[in-house]
Amino acid sequence: MNAISSEVYNYKVVRQFSLATILWGIVGMLVGVLIAAQLVWPALNFDTPWLTFGRLRPLHTNAVIFAFGGSALFATSYYVVQRTCHTALVLPGLAAFTFWGWQLIILSAAITLPLGITSSKEYAELEWPIDILIAVVWVSYAVVFFGTIMKRRVKHIYVANWFFGAFIVTVAILHIFNSLAIPVGMFKSYSVYAGVQDAMVQWWYGHNAVGFFLTAGFLGIMYYFIPKQANRPVYSYRLSVVHFWALIFTYIWAGPHHLHYTALPDWAQSLGMIFSLVLLAPSWGGMINGIMTLSGAWHKLRTDPILKFLIVSVSFYGMSTFEGPMMSIKTVNALSHYTDWTIGHVHSGALGWVGMVSIGALYYLIPRLYDREIYSVKLIEIHFWMTTIGIVLYITAMWIAGVMQGLMWRAVNEDGTLIYSFVEAVDAMQPYYFVRFLGGAIYLGGMLLMAYNVAKTIGEGKPVSAPVLSPAH
Amino acid sequence: MNPGLIITLLAHPSKGWEQVKQEGMTIKQCYARYVVPLSLIAAVSAYIGTSLVGWRVGYDNTVTLTSNSALKLSALSFLAMLVVVYVLAKTIHWMATTYDSHRPLQDCFLLAAFSAIPLYLVGITLLYPVPWFIYLIGLPALGYSVALLYTGVPIMMDVNKEKGFLFSSAILAFGLVALVGLIVVTVSLWGFGIGPSFST
Repeated sequence: MNAISSEVYNYKVVRQFSLATILWGIVGMLVGVLIAAQLVWPALNFDTPWLTFGRLRPLHTNAVIFAFGGSALFATSYYVVQRTCHTALVLPGLAAFTFWGWQLIILSAAITLPLGITSSKEYAELEWPIDILIAVVWVSYAVVFFGTIMKRRVKHIYVANWFFGAFIVTVAILHIFNSLAIPVGMFKSYSVYAGVQDAMVQWWYGHNAVGFFLTAGFLGIMYYFIPKQANRPVYSYRLSVVHFWALIFTYIWAGPHHLHYTALPDWAQSLGMIFSLVLLAPSWGGMINGIMTLSGAWHKLRTDPILKFLIVSVSFYGMSTFEGPMMSIKTVNALSHYTDWTIGHVHSGALGWVGMVSIGALYYLIPRLYDREIYSVKLIEIHFWMTTIGIVLYITAMWIAGVMQGLMWRAVNEDGTLIYSFVEAVDAMQPYYFVRFLGGAIYLGGMLLMAYNVAKTIGEGKPVSAPVLSPAH
Repeated sequence: MNPGLIITLLAHPSKGWEQVKQEGMTIKQCYARYVVPLSLIAAVSAYIGTSLVGWRVGYDNTVTLTSNSALKLSALSFLAMLVVVYVLAKTIHWMATTYDSHRPLQDCFLLAAFSAIPLYLVGITLLYPVPWFIYLIGLPALGYSVALLYTGVPIMMDVNKEKGFLFSSAILAFGLVALVGLIVVTVSLWGFGIGPSFST
């Protein structure tokens, strides 16, 4: 393919976000391992308010979802939209603003959350001034992304961009409506919604943070990087389009399953459960497309650990999107809700699907962004096994812990009194919390290995710029 | 049952799989010689463990299941273990064409049954039904079963190692889904009141 005049792709912002992904991944997971350790050895909070579980847990979730996951999405979407549209990003200044703005938001979160400044909405804890900054940065992101699509040199819009686009638009809407609040001071505000409406809006937001931020966006990653790394076309383009529309239509209704057996009207709970069950179909559409695309690349597996990351990530996507609908069934939820089974489920999605597909994409990107070979393929292989072992330890421990908690909480004597006090259930968790800590620490160790490998790859040399290619047709 | 074959499989997986393939048991023979007796280890251990030995949580008295309840649950899980192997074999057979393997259902069944041998054997831990103990022993056994699966697929299914890796991963993904499904069914049954009854 020929280069088009002297135009080059904007790799600078992609490089920045790629490195930020690794940095924030390590920070976020480190906080996660620390709070996992606190659950085994409570003394580790050192009686210091800003080191307590209650303040560090939102820091962990914000750091891994928005700092690590968010940076991965920025990096990959900026790369993919340029490559598939055969044009550089529009408004490079605004793209740079999204990078520095996003880092500022992360920094503000890292300061305010340990200080105990929080809106108390899960996954939306940040207070109103930061929320406004998020909205501004996000709208700028949308302008850069869709502006680049409008400027494309091919008629077709590749399916990965559909997923990225849906994720950007929906997250903007979710964030703005869920964060509507009345400020009472610089650092305190109250939600405009009251009572169960507030809970419903919160979980409409919360579940779609999973559905669009952590699923649609990462499916965008899957649809570009799997075919690229496997060097094969997508297994079924038709399936990708069908499951795209099915996914975005269905996800938006699934939120109420977070509020089973609460003050939310019963019909709304059942509706949420039914949509959650339907969601299995479009989710597995994506999984089948990913696995079947990879299945033809078997001959490359021996030499390519990146492919292993991608295939295992898609397997975990399939597993956790099966588990999710099952847990939304009211009978199952009656046992699983509020237990560590939920934590295990979230992490099979987060560590398995989101983490592994991001890591795979980064190992693809780094050598191309710096135009050199990766320092060590062997280290990628070791990273892969550390990641897999870490996840398995984490999930199995949480399954047992969760089911045990659920059973102990509901166990009653013949006269109807509880067999176990709550603290007995907590006490019984110790061995599983230790295994969870171990699994998380091994996963984090893999990330450190990656940071070393990437640092060695980038080394001293200067990054190069790549000319924009003309379309093949 | 041929204990020599089991030992060979555990000690030298590749050699063991070759032997399994050569012996070429039918599904019925495999059920009679291996799957049923090996599943009984877990079922009988679970019955004895949950009804007679029991477990303690915190500082309370030992909890056991009533022997009636323990019998029902052990029998149910015994049946479930017999069914699961067949379902797994069917799934492997169904997926085989994707990986250009055309082995008969019988070989898929042998693959499923013999991969599970470490798990059958640690069924004995159910004699001491303390969850963390079973987990501690069970997890390495699970790892060993997965390793057996990865070595077994290329041999039993006649595919090369790379395709075998993908094929095994697909089987494993299905296994994970089946495991979640099993937890969900169990929990649902408890939810409908068909569950364990305890005595303290």
